[in-house]
Amino acid sequence: MGRRRQRVDPAAGARAGALPEAIAALSRSLPSGPSPEIFRRAKFDRPEATSALWQLLFRVLSPLPAGNALASLALEVQARLVKSALCSQGYPRLALAQLPEDGSQGSRELLLALSWLLARGPVPEQMLAQARVPLGDEMTVCQCEALASPGPPAPHMEAEGPVDVRHVQWLMGKLRFRWRQLVSSQQEQCALLSKLLRTLERENQRLEAVLAWRRSELVFWRWMDTVLGTCAPEVPAAASQPTFLPWVPERGGGELDLAVRELQALEEELQEAVERRRVAWEAKAGGCGRGPEWSAARRASREAVEKELGALQQCWERDGGPAQPHGPHRLVRREDGAAGDRDLRAAVVIRTLRSQEACLEAVLRRLQGQCRQELARLVGALPGLIWIPPPGR
Amino acid sequence: MSIVTVQLGQCGNQIGFEVFDALLSDSHSSQGLCSMRENEAYQASCKERFFSEEENGVPIARAVLVDMEPKVINQTLSKAAQSGQWKYGQHACFCQKQGSGNNWAYGYSVHGPRHEESIMNIIRKEVEKCDSFSGFFIIMSMAGGTGSGLGAFVTQNLEDQYSNSLKMNQIIWPYGTGEVIVQNYNSILTLSHLYRSSDALLLHENDAIHKICAKLMNIKQISFSDINQVLAHQLGSVFQPTYSAESSFHYRRNPLGIDRHVRPPLSGLPPLSKMSLNKDLHFNTSIANLVILRGKDVQSADVEGFKDPALYTSWLKPVNAFNVWKTQRAFSKYEKSAVLVSNSQFLVKPLDMIVGKAWNMFASKAYIHQYTKFGIEEEDFLDSFTSLEQVVASYCNL
Repeated sequence: MGRRRQRVDPAAGARAGALPEAIAALSRSLPSGPSPEIFRRAKFDRPEATSALWQLLFRVLSPLPAGNALASLALEVQARLVKSALCSQGYPRLALAQLPEDGSQGSRELLLALSWLLARGPVPEQMLAQARVPLGDEMTVCQCEALASPGPPAPHMEAEGPVDVRHVQWLMGKLRFRWRQLVSSQQEQCALLSKLLRTLERENQRLEAVLAWRRSELVFWRWMDTVLGTCAPEVPAAASQPTFLPWVPERGGGELDLAVRELQALEEELQEAVERRRVAWEAKAGGCGRGPEWSAARRASREAVEKELGALQQCWERDGGPAQPHGPHRLVRREDGAAGDRDLRAAVVIRTLRSQEACLEAVLRRLQGQCRQELARLVGALPGLIWIPPPGR
Repeated sequence: MSIVTVQLGQCGNQIGFEVFDALLSDSHSSQGLCSMRENEAYQASCKERFFSEEENGVPIARAVLVDMEPKVINQTLSKAAQSGQWKYGQHACFCQKQGSGNNWAYGYSVHGPRHEESIMNIIRKEVEKCDSFSGFFIIMSMAGGTGSGLGAFVTQNLEDQYSNSLKMNQIIWPYGTGEVIVQNYNSILTLSHLYRSSDALLLHENDAIHKICAKLMNIKQISFSDINQVLAHQLGSVFQPTYSAESSFHYRRNPLGIDRHVRPPLSGLPPLSKMSLNKDLHFNTSIANLVILRGKDVQSADVEGFKDPALYTSWLKPVNAFNVWKTQRAFSKYEKSAVLVSNSQFLVKPLDMIVGKAWNMFASKAYIHQYTKFGIEEEDFLDSFTSLEQVVASYCNL
């Protein structure tokens, strides 16, 4: 008895609850981690801890984020996938490859495999990154989406003629309807926000668990040393071990060829269909719009658009903003100020956006001036009408 | 955007069951004629609208069942559970032991206030389950006792408590040669009350559906179940997800976008043919028309015929009055289907007839005592006549 007590590291023994805490932090930081009790049983190779560890290894090793489909795979399938994944990563212990896949034994081997993975890389952090909540974390910098979506439809105004009161009633009804849609959208937004908050809280708890784990993992590793000590030494026959490749059924070859051929045929068909459509459209579109006025009008509008686009582009390029890639960007706070080549600094982006804003405001003012002139001209044509422009900004 | 359905009375509960059944079996149908992703979007949209999800995956209809006697409700609940595909919520129904003897006044003045709190509680729980609640769909008959009187009372309450939500009432127009003597009284009372508190009334005539069953479907012995299934099919093809012109990226979020007194004629099964339009006086003038197309070739379907201004009132342009909703996903094994939902003068004749018959009875004060006994006075009748006459007049003057 005395002897055994001496083998325990005195520093670890002084913090009596340190080991359970460390293991608890580990299991909280992993998705659906098993309880500390499972870990303890695995050290003594108890069979009841086996299936929980197979499932945990499966979650850690599977490349896809967890979904219902994955969770419903049978234990044997999960075990087989775990074995082949570990082998392809170069796991050295043969005993694992020889374990039965029905979850009846081998929990200590699985525990060793888990700690091998934990030692190789930041597993809890990787799993957190996989499952992170993306909302509120990202924003887009390019304006493509905003420009592509059509704005609200311009309200249709009838300038002349008496207005039927029924039309006004109809408009009132429409307005009331839109109002109610707005209210229910806002309610939906509230409900979804509270859902989002709850998800974020859960994510925070996982984050705290990971931090706790990192603080206390030394205790865990010392304990794992004792686990390794209880195992029988392995025969170092790694050189003669044939590489364990995942089993590919031989029949698959023929089916794959067939699939490839079918896809190629489909692609050809689609290309033909696209070509036909394009020709038909060109015939149709080319047909309408003949005549000198049409082509003159088209040329004029095209020139106007090109001029506007050129002006805008010049305005933006003048400030030398970097070419902004499309798609959402993740907001990351960095202390060191180092940036990868695909990263954008917030200050630079803000500057670019401000200059774009200034350009667009200039365009807006110009267009407003044009509108005012046009209105004045129209009003001038109606005698006896007094024109009171709104107070200038 | 979710809809909560309130099924009232024998009629409402039987039809409600058929509607949910039709919606879910269409959602699960494999002959969607569209890509898998499209199909999944369709299914997800349908599910969110009408069903809530339970732990073991069986969808629960977002519905509240109300009746004054337990027989029909129990039948409805067990039919749903037997299907194995979906079911009603455990605490979603309210029923009593006695009926109301087809007395509108009893339903409105006695049952309503007496059970108001319990019924509104159940409805509130159902609404709270929705992440994004868009409105109510209330199924009831016009001429019976429970469904109509209580339905009018419940709709009024919903207007008070949920004034920001949309309410659409599905009303069953009774057979012309109907079973209930006072059905015309019940009808005018129901319609006038609903006109004030509901946002849209979707009307289906028993006679018209009967004709569909007999002529188009060749059913010999037409039962109420046949009628209800045809009705459910029509409603399903209106309510299932579609794209509208503004937002072609996702399924239209709010399905209840129809004005008052909307009324669907038959749903046509073959593709729409171009209509020849002279200024034919036979065409009923419409306030609004909505065409819903599902299935093959929807992108190339020609709906220009509906944009003819001759179809619409003078004070409304066709672009404001006519809408098309489309989806490539076929509905319930029909390769192509089309539904026309129309708010037009089509309803003037039947409405006028019912008002006329009710007035004749009223003039001789027949059966009035059954109503005054429970608080519906002669003034209430006169008010109803007045508002319905106004409706008829405004439609005639379109």
